Amino acid sequence: MVVAILLTIGLYAAIGAAFGILFAWRGVDRIDPAAHGASWTFRLLILPGVIALWPLLMMRWRGAARTRDSS
Amino acid sequence: MSVGYVTVQWNRHKRVYDVCIAIGISLYLVVFIVVGKLLYTGRNAISDPILGMRALATCAFLLLHIILCIGPLARLDRRFLPLLYNRRHLGVATFLIALAHAALAIGFYHGFGSVNPLVSLLSSNTNFASLSAFPYQILGASALLIMFLMAATSHDFWLRNLGAPAWKRLHMLVYVAYALLIMHVALGILQTQRSPWLAALVGAGVVTVAALHIVAGARECRHDERGWQRAPAGGGCWVDVGAVDEIADQCGATVTIGGRERIALFRHNGRVSAATNVCAHQGGPLGEGRIIDGCITCPWHGWQYRPADGRSPPPFTEKINTYRVRIVGRRVQVDPTALPPGTAVEPARVEEA
Ligand code: HEM
Ligand code: FES
Repeated sequence: MVVAILLTIGLYAAIGAAFGILFAWRGVDRIDPAAHGASWTFRLLILPGVIALWPLLMMRWRGAARTRDSS
Repeated sequence: MSVGYVTVQWNRHKRVYDVCIAIGISLYLVVFIVVGKLLYTGRNAISDPILGMRALATCAFLLLHIILCIGPLARLDRRFLPLLYNRRHLGVATFLIALAHAALAIGFYHGFGSVNPLVSLLSSNTNFASLSAFPYQILGASALLIMFLMAATSHDFWLRNLGAPAWKRLHMLVYVAYALLIMHVALGILQTQRSPWLAALVGAGVVTVAALHIVAGARECRHDERGWQRAPAGGGCWVDVGAVDEIADQCGATVTIGGRERIALFRHNGRVSAATNVCAHQGGPLGEGRIIDGCITCPWHGWQYRPADGRSPPPFTEKINTYRVRIVGRRVQVDPTALPPGTAVEPARVEEA
């Protein structure tokens, strides 16, 4: 039971890390114009939060991509 | 204010603040360990990992108390405002120290068995029904998780992208973390048979935090109560909110009308303007701020707005609600209907007495 919980958390964080690198590299600029040209240290700084909250940011990124396509 | 994100918006004040945090933490840890070594010798000696674990634990716990006290203290006395200004760095430092404590504890108490340390942390003690043998370390782990979320979302990027209400709610979890930690420490003391002075200190901490919050809260309530008594004068929409002379030049004042949202008044160069009391950044009390360089300046982190239209000076783009204001005799009257953020309003002229 405990092992299952820990594995789930680990999997969640692993997906978060993979997504997070992409997001910090490209995604932030899409969902927030103020991140244009931000330094790599800024991108590194938001990474832990992205790993924790990745489903939310994934939705934002998809939303941003959709409004761009439709306009 | 935000035009483009910077990793950390350093300035002189923040550098001094951070140097003080670093020196304070280092001093505390060194003194704790040296005193621990001198005090407990021979048969009573405490092993290095446990001493380190306790030094880090009490340091993080103390920092958390300071963090929780700064808010109400700054409301009660303006001299504490400089401490509030960079509180998030203090929060991140607290998380890192607590993380080091947890890492040491997990490594030391759970790291030498055949079971994975994290599995051991969550499964070695399941006496959830017993108070004296309760798995207090799980409480610590839950608090650490909350502290992680807060530290990880402390950059202004998160404030903007989660939205101020959600961000604020997330950061209010600090009180949940605090409650979990009180239990972590209290039950831990019970189980590791620590001396009673530690329990007394924890009790004093809880009382201090609670008392400061109650005193600051009571003051806010009195303020709101006065607001309930204010009503439109002469049937119109104008509400009398006090005498012009109660507002010092280049300063702000806060009024509440009908128990609703607070309005901040500012006197600047013989004129009076009114705007919402809620800063667009993190809801800081603008009425407790001042006019600096002709702008309303938030007392918390210094965001600025022009009094005439509630807009941040370019290149910034933040906007706050403004209110219509007029002066009749020497009394200030405000129309309590909030105008859309950034609406220009002619300031009321103060006739010099
Ligand atoms: C995974 C998370 C955590 C674990 C596994 C953990 C573990 C422990 C352990 C084993 C002790 C008893 C140490 C001893 O032998 O005296 C302890 C005490 C303590 N912990 Fe934690 N802890 C965690 C998180 C935290 C956090 C986040 C704080 C925040 C400030 C904290 C504050 C304290 C304090 C103040 C004590 C009492 C120190 C003392 O006895 O002198 N712990 N913890
Ligand atoms: S500047 Fe941060 S709350 Fe106003």
